[in-house]
Amino acid sequence: MKQLGQVCAALRRKNRVHSTLLAGCCFFSVLLITAYGIMMRSPTILAVLPEGGDSRKQVLMIFVMAVIGCAMFTVYASGLFFRHRSRQTGILLALGASRRQLRRQLNRELAVLAAVSCAAGAILAAPLAWDIWQLFRLFVVDSAQMTLRFEPRAWAIALGFSVFVAVLLFAAGRRSVRRANIIETVQEVHRSEPIRAVPRWYGPLGIFLLAAGGLLGYLAPSVFVNLLHWYPPAGLSGLFYLPALAGLYMILLHTVVNGWRARHAYRDLIATSMMKFQGRQTVRSMLVMTLLLGGGLFAAFYTPMIGAGSMLSYDVRPVDYAYHFRADQNGPGKPQVEQLAAEYGVALTSWAEAPMARLAVDGSYQVEEEGPLGTTWRSVYAQQAQSVLVLSESGYRALTGEIVDLAPGQAAGVLDASGSGQGRFEPDATLFTNPLTGQQLAVTPAEPLCHDLLLGCYVLDDGDWAALSNGLTGEWREQMVFFNLENEEDSYPFARALFDRIVDGSGPEVAVLDGWDPIVRQRYLEEEGVYFLDPDQAEEANFPRMDYSQRDSSDFRLYWQYMPRFRVLDKADFVRTTAVFLMLFVFIGVLCLSAVIVIACTRCMTIALTSRPVYNDLRRLGAPGQYLYRSARSQVRLVFLTPALAGSGLILGFYLLILYFNDNRLTAGELAGLGLCLGLTAGVGALLWAVYRLTLGRVCAALDIRR
Amino acid sequence: MLAVNDLQKSYRVGKTSFPVLKGVSLTVDAGEFVAVMGPSGSGKTTLLNCISCYLPADGGSILLDGRDLAGLREEELAAVRNRQLGFVFQDFLLLDGLTVMENILLPAIIGGAMSQTVQARAEQLCQVFGIGAIQNKYPTEISGGEKQRTAVARALINHPLLILADEPTGNLDSRSSRAVIRSFEQAKQMLGATIFMVTHDSFAASFCDRVILLRDGVVWRTLEKGGMDRSAFQDQLLEAIGAMSREEEP
Repeated sequence: MKQLGQVCAALRRKNRVHSTLLAGCCFFSVLLITAYGIMMRSPTILAVLPEGGDSRKQVLMIFVMAVIGCAMFTVYASGLFFRHRSRQTGILLALGASRRQLRRQLNRELAVLAAVSCAAGAILAAPLAWDIWQLFRLFVVDSAQMTLRFEPRAWAIALGFSVFVAVLLFAAGRRSVRRANIIETVQEVHRSEPIRAVPRWYGPLGIFLLAAGGLLGYLAPSVFVNLLHWYPPAGLSGLFYLPALAGLYMILLHTVVNGWRARHAYRDLIATSMMKFQGRQTVRSMLVMTLLLGGGLFAAFYTPMIGAGSMLSYDVRPVDYAYHFRADQNGPGKPQVEQLAAEYGVALTSWAEAPMARLAVDGSYQVEEEGPLGTTWRSVYAQQAQSVLVLSESGYRALTGEIVDLAPGQAAGVLDASGSGQGRFEPDATLFTNPLTGQQLAVTPAEPLCHDLLLGCYVLDDGDWAALSNGLTGEWREQMVFFNLENEEDSYPFARALFDRIVDGSGPEVAVLDGWDPIVRQRYLEEEGVYFLDPDQAEEANFPRMDYSQRDSSDFRLYWQYMPRFRVLDKADFVRTTAVFLMLFVFIGVLCLSAVIVIACTRCMTIALTSRPVYNDLRRLGAPGQYLYRSARSQVRLVFLTPALAGSGLILGFYLLILYFNDNRLTAGELAGLGLCLGLTAGVGALLWAVYRLTLGRVCAALDIRR
Repeated sequence: MLAVNDLQKSYRVGKTSFPVLKGVSLTVDAGEFVAVMGPSGSGKTTLLNCISCYLPADGGSILLDGRDLAGLREEELAAVRNRQLGFVFQDFLLLDGLTVMENILLPAIIGGAMSQTVQARAEQLCQVFGIGAIQNKYPTEISGGEKQRTAVARALINHPLLILADEPTGNLDSRSSRAVIRSFEQAKQMLGATIFMVTHDSFAASFCDRVILLRDGVVWRTLEKGGMDRSAFQDQLLEAIGAMSREEEP
């Protein structure tokens, strides 16, 4: 051995476990990010996530979260690596090595480590993405549409992230050599991370701030908009969540330093004291872990929540098949449906249809104004504020079988089966207008009706309906159809064919989002010259474009105004419609959970390394193995258990808040979804417990503790 | 060899400054074995760290072989530590991933001075200090005394002008301490080494030619061994330390 490089190589061989850990973390983070990038840029997925749609934005947002999560655990892993190296660096400096010499050696090592781990991660990402996708196709859903195709440009993401990892490693390496302190090495000084005294009221105050911040952050936007008539600048509403973050920090600080129950003076002395003096960094790690776990669970909850709610809503629909089409379109009538049913060998057991008129109703709409404080709005009453679909009494009876007796001049709005307008419909119109003839009818609101498939419609007396709809052209008339089938569960091919028939019979003028309204459009065109929901404007206004060639995309299925509601189609295609989301959310869940595990493990190992002299002293003082084990376990448990409880509790509470305040109640579907989420949380808890046991074993080995 | 003149050093804690060395002056001649003793907080470790170039002094000068260390750049200080100084630490500071022989050769490797001659010198040092049989073992496989003798051999490998030892017997039992002090004596007698040792241990100090007593950041007294035997010199040391303690009492 003649050169410093050979010395470093020998030391590296001897301590290869630390290099392997860092390389493993870099490999894992590049692997996950590249795999995610490959999925995100895959033409298969881009076809399902139309440009400008919310879904694509969500995917991008999750990708950013994933990058942050991976960057975080790479930082933690490198921190642990350089902490292990600090003694070696200090000794070499003490013996006369220059920082430049050491930096050169470290850079060489890091270059090899980064190149090998990043290249391996980038190369193996494609098989990983492909394998997961194939497993998904094998066990969950498969279709020709789901053949995964790769876009070579996705590797630019791998390259970008690898460069980021390399820069991070070199910067951390440079910093570690610059900050290596000979005195600390020579005198075996351990840098403590003291925290100021934490009063016991930190815990209760933290809980209060967390609850208040969560509520404030959630309600602030609606207070701004509804009470102050002001659209605050982007990000301002987010600031109201800050008390929740501060509260979470205080809770964690209180947990680490004081604990929630009286501690045993002798048994908990070491664990409590150690945590007190390494508290700041530990609490910071725990805060990051809590947020990552919360983010991961939030993503993981998406599919069970949507799935349980949707499946339940499909089951309680009063008819198997429902669709509506504009009268000027080539929508299938009873003969065409019967013919198609015969082709597919299914038989209709009931048929009901009724004409609907699109009329204007009075109400208030918002006029936005730009001012020094940003955008404000004022409410303006208009006799023709928006349009609604209106049925006659007899039409409603034909569709539902329910007899409604309205007096002339009365109008009944239709709520969902549970009597809710689902936050988007208030049956309070007092004036109906024929938009073509201008004929008007003043009405008094009648007791609302309830029907899931007619939510948002109005019902008028037969005479009033006939008079008001007189003179409407096909563009303002629609036909609503309800029918049932024999053996409806087996009618998927028929449902699919009928769906295609409806889409094929629709012209470009009805390729519109469900919020598109001809009355509102008219007003916008008069006042601003353009209507933001028109197909040629939607994308610019960040709304998805309804494209008949992408009829299987989730945006089309969710937002097309004339999307038929066929139970068998909706149920069977639910997973397909949300498959991409499911995959992506599985990915983000895996990423966040991996980051949590790596941070927890590295933090525990750091605590173990820092505590080593203390445990040696305790052993010299005669502390039994069982005592040392319990004090180590107490610290490791705190690092795992606190973020696990805080993160899962936080996100379950937040979900509950969202679900409740959506419509001031919890529906059966939401409760079923919450049940699934609880199960999922238990699963994640079990995984964390297994990692906790493994880490505890490693910490005990590092501290040479035998029970 | 070493001349320390009016050395001053303070530590800052927040806005408060705590002076630790308040004008220490001393000299060490070539071939001398000098110890520094004093109560905790007297500034002996800070003095050693300043001479070792680990800490910059606030004032005064440190001349090593006539060259002032105060104005040197970091690269030059590293070169001084590598070629002109040798270090023996209380916790040995051997690298666990290297064998005893590799640890001994480390300063020569760092300095880019490896050669057959250096290898032969390392072998010779192993023989002198009685660690020849363990030269291929790793630090985790040898005793504390053997580790410290390895550290002494490592300190001597580059023919330094001065060996700086910080509590070299602090972590050792009496038998190992004796062996380490014996190795210092051998280094002085056989290799002409100059040794500057900080210690609390009056037994270890009693082997030195001269003992400098520090109190409150200044040299309180210097005791010369002269022709005295070791035991009598230790008694004199203990008496002086007692007197120093009595003076400190209110």
